[in-house]
This record gives sequence, C-alpha cells and structure tokens, in this order.
Amino acid sequence: MTTLSLSVNGRALGPFEVRDDLTMNDFLREELGMTGTKFGCGAAQCLSCAVIVDMPDGSSHTNPTCVVPAVNFDGKAIRTIEGHAKDGVLTALQTAFIEHFSFQCGYCTPGFLNESQVLLERLEKTPVPRATLETVIAEALDGHLCRCTGYVKYHEAVRAVILAGADRYLI
Amino acid sequence: MRPSRRDFVKLMMASGIAVAVTPMARADAPSFASRETLPGRGVARPRLGRVDGVAKVTGAKLYASDFRAADMPGWPSETAHALFVRSPDASHIYEGIDLDRLSLIAKPTVVVTAEDVARIGARVPEFYAGDLFCPVGKTPFFLGQPLALLIFASFDDFDRVRVALRDGNYLKFGAETGPTEGPNYGAFRFTRVAGPTPDGPDLYSPIQEGWVSPGFFESTGRPIWKPLPVAKGGEYVKGATFGDAIRAELDAPDPETLVIQQDFETQSIDPVFLEPECGLAWYDPAKRNLELVLGVQSPFEAASAIAFLLGEADADHKPATINAQFAYVGGGFGGKDHTPFSLYIALAGLFLPGRPVRLAHDRFQQFQGGVKRHAFKMHSEIGVDRKSGLITGFAADHVLDGGGMANYSASVAVVGATGALGIYSIPKVDVTTVALHSRGVTAGSMRGYGTLQTMTAIEVLVDEVCAALPLDPIEFRRRNALATGGRTMTGNPYSVSVRTPEILAKLEAHPIWRDRAMEKAAAKPGFLVGTGVAVCTKDYGTGADCSLGRVEIDAEGRVSVHGDAVEMGNGIGTAIANRVAAHLGVVADRVGVSEIDAFDALGLFTSGDAYSTTQAAQDEAAKNPRWVPAISSATSASIGAHVGTQAAAEAARVLFRFGLWPAALAIWGIPQNDPRAKQWDEAFWQDGMLLMSGLSPLPLKAIAAKAHAMNGITGTMAHAFSRWAWAQATFTVGGEDVTADIDALAIRRGDGDFEPIERSAVAFPPADYNRIGTAFTSLCGTLVRIEIERATGIVRIAKAYSVLECGEALVPEVVRGQAQGGFAMGVGYALLETLPPFEDGPGNGQWNLGQYRLARASDLPVNDLEVEILPPLSPKEPPKGMAEVVMIPVVPGLLNAIFDATGHRFAALPVTAAHIKGVLA
Repeated sequence: MTTLSLSVNGRALGPFEVRDDLTMNDFLREELGMTGTKFGCGAAQCLSCAVIVDMPDGSSHTNPTCVVPAVNFDGKAIRTIEGHAKDGVLTALQTAFIEHFSFQCGYCTPGFLNESQVLLERLEKTPVPRATLETVIAEALDGHLCRCTGYVKYHEAVRAVILAGADRYLI
Repeated sequence: MRPSRRDFVKLMMASGIAVAVTPMARADAPSFASRETLPGRGVARPRLGRVDGVAKVTGAKLYASDFRAADMPGWPSETAHALFVRSPDASHIYEGIDLDRLSLIAKPTVVVTAEDVARIGARVPEFYAGDLFCPVGKTPFFLGQPLALLIFASFDDFDRVRVALRDGNYLKFGAETGPTEGPNYGAFRFTRVAGPTPDGPDLYSPIQEGWVSPGFFESTGRPIWKPLPVAKGGEYVKGATFGDAIRAELDAPDPETLVIQQDFETQSIDPVFLEPECGLAWYDPAKRNLELVLGVQSPFEAASAIAFLLGEADADHKPATINAQFAYVGGGFGGKDHTPFSLYIALAGLFLPGRPVRLAHDRFQQFQGGVKRHAFKMHSEIGVDRKSGLITGFAADHVLDGGGMANYSASVAVVGATGALGIYSIPKVDVTTVALHSRGVTAGSMRGYGTLQTMTAIEVLVDEVCAALPLDPIEFRRRNALATGGRTMTGNPYSVSVRTPEILAKLEAHPIWRDRAMEKAAAKPGFLVGTGVAVCTKDYGTGADCSLGRVEIDAEGRVSVHGDAVEMGNGIGTAIANRVAAHLGVVADRVGVSEIDAFDALGLFTSGDAYSTTQAAQDEAAKNPRWVPAISSATSASIGAHVGTQAAAEAARVLFRFGLWPAALAIWGIPQNDPRAKQWDEAFWQDGMLLMSGLSPLPLKAIAAKAHAMNGITGTMAHAFSRWAWAQATFTVGGEDVTADIDALAIRRGDGDFEPIERSAVAFPPADYNRIGTAFTSLCGTLVRIEIERATGIVRIAKAYSVLECGEALVPEVVRGQAQGGFAMGVGYALLETLPPFEDGPGNGQWNLGQYRLARASDLPVNDLEVEILPPLSPKEPPKGMAEVVMIPVVPGLLNAIFDATGHRFAALPVTAAHIKGVLA
C-alpha cells in the first residue's frame, strides 16, 4: 500500500492508502466514484480513460489511466470530464461537441474532450497556421477510438471552436 | 395520481415472479429514473444537439457501468464484485478451478458453478439453451463458455484475481476429447421462379409455398440439399426441384449467357462497443426482491429471461419481485441484444444475498465472451445475358459459423440468404443457407447481420460481371435494379419506396465516379489509384416490432415523452422528441428511454409467438381487446426511427387532435358546429405558436393551460405493432372515432390517471406476412477513391461519397453521423478487423484492442467523406431505418476499388496491406 495525494479538478484530495497495482482508472471509478472517466479496454488503446495532467511548468497533456498505477499520480494535478464546466456553464468545446452532434453513444467523449481541451490550450500558447489546422487536429485526436461516429463530427467541432477563436489559436 | 416510476408498477407476472421497475427513492440522492430522464427540467443546454448532450459532455452517471451500489437510492452502500471465469479450451475435459492456489491471492466469498445453478433449480431460457456453466467432467461446448462466477467482497481482491486468472494457469483440464459436435442452428432454402411476365404470378416462391428446410442431415449437421425421393419433407422437395433446375441451367449455359462463379469468405469480428457488458444486482432475501441495473438493447427480453431463469428455483433463490432498471448503453451494434450476460448478473446477486454485486467484463473478457459477427463461406454463381446485360439466374450456398450457442444464428442465416440479391431483380433464384455449431465464441446479432456478408459478395460479383461483359457498373445496375413493385426473393414486393434510379444517378454524376479514369492515370509514382462503387438495399424491422410511447403536457406547456426504445447512441431519444414536436410544437424537455414500466395503464396482454402464430390463433387472441402480438422488442439502430418513434408519434397526434385542438377552439371561441372545428389538419406550429388562417396565433402554454382547465386530454400513451405493416385500430375518444396505426391507447385528463380506451376494431397484419423476407428497405450507394502504396500495400482512402434515402430524416445530423460511423465500421470490416477462429481467437481470453485493429481517424477520409441524404419522396413519407444500410456498400465499394487499382480480386475479408503487398510483389 502506498499513500496517494493529488488534485482532481482543482480540489486537493488525500491522502489515500492505495494498493500499489491499483490502476488510476479504478481509483477514480471505484474509490472516488468519478465514473465520468471511462473504462474501455484496459490496454491504453482506446483512450476513453484519458485524463488531463497539468504539469508544474504550466503545460498539460493527456494520460491514459487504465494501465497506469494510481500511485504514479501522487502529487499531480489532473482534470477529468467532470471538471470542464464551471458553475453549470459549459465550455466552448463542450457546447461545440453537442451542437455538432459529435458523439453518439458518448462513451468515448471524455477522452476526446480532454484531448481537444489540451490541444486548445497548446494552440493558445503556440498558434499554428490555418493551412495546417486539419492535420494538427488529426494528429492530436488520432489516438482516440470511437466506434460510433467515424470521427468526422469530433473533428468538425474542434475545428469550429478553433476557427471561432482564430486570433487565439491560429497564426 | 398519475403513474410514476416511483410507484410500484407491475409489468408482468412471469413464473410467479412480478417483474417491475421500482426505484426506491431516497431524499438525498437523485433517483435512477431522474438521472436517466433527459435533459431534465431546469438544465441549460445548447440550442442544437441531442437531448442527452449535456449529460454526455459533463460525465454524468448515465451508463450501466457508471453505477455502483452507493449510487442507488435505498441500496446498501458497499458493492461486491463478481468475476467471470470462462474456458479457453473446448477440446479437453474441464476438471475445475485450482481454488486452493488462487486463494493464495484472494479467496472468493462465493463460487457459483454449474452444480450450484442445477442445485437451486434455475432454468435456461430457450433462446440461450445449453449449459449456463460447463460442469466439471464435461468438455466445454465452446471457447469462452462460462465456467464459474467468483464473487469477492472487496474490489481489491476481485481485481488481483482477475489479473491472475488472465495471466496464470488456474484452470484444470484433463483428457483430450476433441471438440464437441452440435446440431446446426438452422438450414433453409429460398427458391423463386418468376412467371413469364412481371405482372403474372410466380411459378414458385417462398411467399406462396412457405419457407422450406431440408429434411435430412449428415452426421456433421450439414444438410443434404438434394431432394430425396422420400415422403418426408414434401414441401422441401418441391422447392428443391425448382432450385436444382436453376442450378442445372447455370451449369450448362447457352453461348449467349455469361456465367461467373465466385467463392467468397467473410471473417468473424467483434462489435467492440466501447462500454463492455456490465450490471448490478442486489437480492434482498427478507423482501425476496431482486434489484437489477442493466445496459442492454432488449430490456423487456432481459427481464423476461431472468424471470424464467428463476421461475422454478428453490425458495431461497426465487424472488417474489424483480425490479429491473435499464441504463443508457455505451454502444451496442446488436451485441447487447439478447445477450446472456444479464442472466449471470442476476445469478451473481442471488448467490450473495443481501449484498449488491457488480458483474463487469473487462475488454479481454468481452472479446472472450461477447457475441461476434458470423463468419460466412459463400459459393455463388450468376448468369447474365451477354446482349442485354440482364441477370437471368442466381444460385448460392451459404455456410455460417454460429459458434457455441444458437443465439440469433438461424435469423442471421435467413436474413443473409433473403438479402443475397442486393438491389437486383432476378427471375430465377436458389439460395441455400445453414448456420453451423462450432467450438468458436458464440456469434449473434451485429449491425447489418447476414446482409453485410451476402451483399458484399454480390456487389463484388457484379463488379466482376461488369468487367467481363464489359458494361459500365452503374449502367449494369440501372438495367437490373429491382423496380418499385418488383418482387424480392421471397416473392413479395417492398411496401416502401425503392429509389435505386435516383441513387444511381447521384453516383454517376459525382466527380469521384466521373473523374475515375483521369485520377487513375494521374497516380503518383509508386502508387496505384482505383475507384469503386457499390449500392445496397437493406431491410429494417424484424417482422414483429413493437413500440411503446407516452406523451404528456403540463399546464405550463412543458412536454414529457417516454418510450421503451433503448438509447445506445442512435439518438432515439432525440428522434422521439422531434417526432412528437411535429405534433405539439415544442421539443420535450423530459425524454425517458428504456422505460418498459411506464405503460401499465394500457393493461397489455400477449400470448403466442408473433413470428410463428397462425391466422386462426391470432384471430382468436385478438378477441381480447387488451391482447397484442408482442409487447416490447429489442432496439436496433436501424429500426429506431421507424419503430421506436411510432407509438409516441401516434400518441402525440391523438393528444393534439383530442386534447390541444379542443382547447385551442375554446380559446378562439369556435363552437363545435363551426366548420373550422374540423380543420385541425390545417393548423400548424411555428415557434411554439399554433397558427390557423384567419385566427390569432396561440402560444402552446396557453393552450396547455386551457386543456388542463377544461379537464381535457393532457396525456396519451400507445402501443404499436408491426409485422411488415402497422397494426391499425379504432378508438372512441371524446365521442369521436379515431383510427390510428396503434393497437392500444390510454388517455389522461387534466392531472388524472391514465385510463385505457377500449379499441372498437383492430386489424393486425396477417399471420402469413411471416413468410415475407423483407418488406421495408432503404438504400445507400457509396463511391470510394483509394490510393495504394505499391511498396507496402497500404490503402489510403482519398475521397468517399455515400448517398442514402431514409424517408423523413427525423434528426438529419444523427442520420449523417450514422452514415459516417457506418463508413468507419465498413472500412474496419473490409481492411482491418479479424478474429481467427477457435484456439487462436478471442475465446482464448488474450485478445484486446491493439491486437485487434479498429479504424482510427487516420484510416478514414475524415475531411473528404461526403454524405448526401435524399429528401423524402413526399412531406409525409415516414422515416425509414438507415443505420445498417449505410455501412454495407462501403465494404464492396472498397474491394471493387482495390480491384480497379490492382487488377486483383480478393475473395476473403479483410483485405489487409500485407495481402495487397503480396499480390503486387
């Protein structure tokens, strides 16, 4: 057993005594009851389990949780799908996912939402030319599996948000 | 008081068990029902989008996998965890689990085995006939057969044993027996010989003579298709004699006839819905109540099957009540329709009484135990008149691998066979089909079942014919397409629009097709370019489809809708809301799905089997005004729009006509004897206002308030049944007769209770419609342009176009999304996905994503996939199922493009880069 403390969606949690080989996914879903982060494959292939990890240097990236021990997240700050909307107000990305009918069953949505949010934040710091936008989106989201949609409407929604904020995200 | 989900609502008595839905409310937690009723009052949501949109982008607890005991109001707070143990061996005698060694990791609280279910007197429902668990001393009947449930009080113990069982050798097997043989799951022969003129009667057809099966089988279970000179199976001999004559003609063609033979194989694949199967059970022995949380496409069936399972169990294991609650489904694609998983959830709960138990597959287990798509082996021959380009005859033999349990195999065989002609009109047809048992993982329902396989075969075969004649592939299809009113293989015409000429015209005019030669000639060095086309027509409906719908409006003008259809991503909740909105002028702000409990007031009663009943039995049963051929059926995406919305739409129509319209007349001051009182058809909604020429616009809220004030009709619920046509009944409402495409109706006045309205007349579709193969169909055509890298064989889809027709698209963006998703699934099936049979396949418990390749965005033309939805033929053309047909032409379209690029015609799926590289070497 190892002690685990971390920040989830801006709230400091812990310390918890957790089994060394308990996955982060099971910690979130079974221990914290935060089932917004999904379990899809347990092999880091579908990424429906991905959460955002905020690094001390201000950068963020997504991380699968299904194969990573929870103790690896000790001292880290993560964001999950439950933490995007503030005071019931959806983010631009959440709204775009809904308005573009991006998902169907929605089980992969947490991973896509987190990955897309990280992309937006990266572009805000490092804008890209408009001509490369489709490629940038494709490369960012390609690790995520969706069985329902064919991905088209996820890409459309992310593109729409970026184009609507072109002065922030594009050179 | 109106019925609510918090009331105890008795759904049915099955084996002495009351099966119901009765969430036990707790003040400090939202009830399961309110979580699952979306979007919910007071929830802000974007202007556009699905009714479940906000819940799905905020991580709300929605799916069966999201719930634990602590989330369920009134349940004990701790959850125990059950672990499925399945067999990776089907050739040796099973000798048990090495529990002593396993207990060194963690000792299960309870172990449930074959002996235990036999001891308590559990019965296996007919659909799942066979051993629920392989008994010790027997060879498992198939790979992945359940051996035991191990139930652990703590998650940590469960989790450690789960990993140990997958990676270690804890299952004991003894002497080698070889695989166990089993009878086939169904064998049929479909033969049709058209008469000399299209309008004249057929010489022979299944609709005339009935469906026939061979009377004799080899010891392997394979049928003997030749008609034998014996009395048994006389109907078979008649059909088979016609069939053999067709084959004789194809075997000895005249010089004017081109005959091409084809052998084609399709592979087993997994549905890979992203949410693995799971559920919760809690058996309270004091109250003898079994609580369940399930996520299936067939809720009514699941509840009924569990009731049967336990109906004759001993006193300690027979609940007095079963309360089944159904959650949103994280993908289904057919794989959560009639799955035996629900039975094991119930058993897990019963064997640890007093403790909520969760049973959940991980992905390895889902591969090992979840139903698969059937692998087909097909031999086909087609005859074509060289001069006219018209198809003269077609014969085929299909052999399906059904895996270890029957499940839907017989149905898949039939649907595959009756769909084998695709879009074509062929005067002489003979198709045999047999679904065999094997030791493979059970094959069952999956999107486009049967037809995906057989229509891929014929669309590839037709491409070969066009190259051989030669004739332009679109022109060939134009000449041979079944026209509206033409007869299908079973001898009946489709009862809906058949718009093949329009689809072909769209394809022909599209730049992908028009520019194919130029693009091929302009291929980059090291690359091959090819273009492929395919067109498919796919039935929707099963021949016994039901719909339940309930619509209510409160005095504030807020609309709530409830249906029995399951939301599995297909947008059914949004579609129901939109269809109701057409009648009531506003989109409901409460939409409940998977609600089989909300219709008690209809007092429905059923008996017999809707698929096999006789006309006499149906007529007799229909004398009971509460009788319907079936109450609730499984949801599939393809029938969602057509079936799932029907009852709610009809209920809304009645609510408007007899509830809102009289209230509007009262506000306008129009008396009943005024001619305008009968002109409800001329009124229409715009921006929440009811408009009528010459009268002041009325807001819905005012009309609703008036309806309540008048104690008028403010709620309606209905049941609908379709056997290739809707049952129709007449009811007397408000002193007037109304005839609608429903067979049961109840109404509510003001805030009162729902009361049933007795039907004064009913016309159920005739029983012999069960001989119809398909009567409802929709069409989709697909063009693909591909580039193949010579050095690697990798296929890149440069551009694609799908054009479909589906009547009224209730939610066009959902339809478009289904087409895009179907395209992706088609690409996976054609180029990527495969599961080997038997010991190297998923039954060994070692398969997961990564090893199994799904289409990723980078495999698809995400920015170059064009979808066109034809507008409905008329404003009143009803919605047609479309979620299956959009996937099918993608597969043969890709194969035809690969042929165009490489000159090689592949005869087995998937066609991987390695295969292509092999033929280019």
